[in-house]
Amino acid sequence: MSIQVEHLTRYYRVHRKEPGLRSSIRNLFHRRYECIKAVDDISFAIEQGEVVGFLGPNGAGKTTTLKMLAGLLHPTAGRAEVLGYTPHRREREYLKQITLVMGQRNQLFWDLPAIETFIVNQAIYGIPELQFRRTLDELVALLDLEPLLTKQVRKLSLGERMKCELAASLLHQPRVLFLDEPTLGLDVDAQSAIRDFIRCYSQEHSVTVLLTSHYMADVTALARRILVIDDGRLMYDGNLEALVESTAPYKLLRLTLQQPIDEIDLAALGQVERYEGLKVTIRVPRHSTTAVAARALARLPIADLTIEDPPIEKIISEVFHQGVVYA
Amino acid sequence: MRNLLRAYRSLIKAALITFFEYRAQVIIWVISFIFPLVMMVVWLAIVSEAGQVSGWGRSDFVAYYVGAAIVHQFTQSWATWEWEEQIRTGDLSFKLLKPLDPFHHIFTQIVGSKLFLLTTVLPIVLGLIWLAPGINYTLSPARLAACVAAVIGGFMVSMLMSTAFGMLSFWTTQSGNLYGLWYGVGNFLSGFIAPLALFPAWMQKIALVMPFRSTMGLPVEILVGRLDWAGIWLGLGITAAWMTIFTIIYRLLWRRGIRHYDAVGA
Repeated sequence: MSIQVEHLTRYYRVHRKEPGLRSSIRNLFHRRYECIKAVDDISFAIEQGEVVGFLGPNGAGKTTTLKMLAGLLHPTAGRAEVLGYTPHRREREYLKQITLVMGQRNQLFWDLPAIETFIVNQAIYGIPELQFRRTLDELVALLDLEPLLTKQVRKLSLGERMKCELAASLLHQPRVLFLDEPTLGLDVDAQSAIRDFIRCYSQEHSVTVLLTSHYMADVTALARRILVIDDGRLMYDGNLEALVESTAPYKLLRLTLQQPIDEIDLAALGQVERYEGLKVTIRVPRHSTTAVAARALARLPIADLTIEDPPIEKIISEVFHQGVVYA
Repeated sequence: MRNLLRAYRSLIKAALITFFEYRAQVIIWVISFIFPLVMMVVWLAIVSEAGQVSGWGRSDFVAYYVGAAIVHQFTQSWATWEWEEQIRTGDLSFKLLKPLDPFHHIFTQIVGSKLFLLTTVLPIVLGLIWLAPGINYTLSPARLAACVAAVIGGFMVSMLMSTAFGMLSFWTTQSGNLYGLWYGVGNFLSGFIAPLALFPAWMQKIALVMPFRSTMGLPVEILVGRLDWAGIWLGLGITAAWMTIFTIIYRLLWRRGIRHYDAVGA
């Protein structure tokens, strides 16, 4: 078992402050604190080599969980074990086997070319020269870093910097990767480049990956298993397809009509989600999709018809609203 | 240990490259060099009005404060602000992820700045001293060694003292200001406002056992030849004691503080 989490909990004490000078002065003498349950009693286990997506809205507790697993935060209660180590003890041997990439943050020396950070990391992690060269060559090839290595970090674009950031985080060949929003703010091309890299790298090295992202495409492309977390609680743990089936046992039939028709005729096919102009979207139970489509084609004046899965975003938000759907 | 040295070498090198990147820094340092010299000007004005002060004449003050200006450059540490920034912004997280204690990151950065000083500013300053009349530091090799040891010790005291204050950043955003306040008190007891020899006996006694003299008065007194060997050994002993005390305080606060750390941002 690579990662084992039992009843992991973390509370934050936040200091409340109303706007304005008067409250600032009052705050000097008396501070009001509030307890926020960032992570509230979650448990899961991840095998070595698994790639797991961590989904949830902002403030759900994804990053807090990742930070506890990476040893940055002490849990308030419960326990975590990664590769047999207790993360928050931050033993050297443990830190040498993991990495945490934070999409919005920068670990590279800002005023120096990225290669300088790589060299410093080599020394800090005690990477032997030969291994360092070999790993660097591999990362340079996979991420297309050659032209970036000698440019000052502050002159790199966000996407370029993220590539260097990933390389800096992987030089020591960690066995467990915690990736927190690795594609945040990147354009579509850069996103897919990073995504492809993570996929290739994780397969080749059979590393364990726990990844959070706002972009559903990241998660669907990389992870077969997902953890859904909301308000600090684990709402779902399991297969992505199974989640789609159980939460959204329907597909979407999208029709373009040749001429307007009565909505009652459409309602006979299924639940009408949208009817605007000649465009119609109808929810149809999964198992009868083809039959309904055939019926529609036979009876209605249809110019075009497509059958789609509901967008994952929508499914996830349904999970949040419905509550626990443990697999 | 070998790994630590390798890490030090490459971290210090990175810090040095960064400093050379910002050449304007040299000018700022040269200017900050002037601060102790301001005190010198004050004392010279007094001497020219009132004659010798407790046996200290014009050339004594010049020698003392030029020495103080050099020593000050090498012993001061801004680690408190560095810790405050790291903790407040959450940048400490990156250091915590590495198999090297965050202290070493900040330590090497400051050491890098001192080496930078050694290669750029010091030659300029020594040149000026050589040109200026009336300054004459005659040091035996043993005394020179003691002076260098006192400067290094003084730097370590100020590094560890400012680091201990930096730990307060886990609980407050005012650690830099608190250190500033402490440091302000220290200016009276370090030998910055006046050479400690000019203070009343009771104040000299307090200054002797406080950490501030290590960061300025002690190395300068050795440099200008105003301390006998017994005094030198006592001073170095007190310096070592403060290094130990601040290390203990810093580690205790660190251990408690890190549980408090909430790795903000991201």
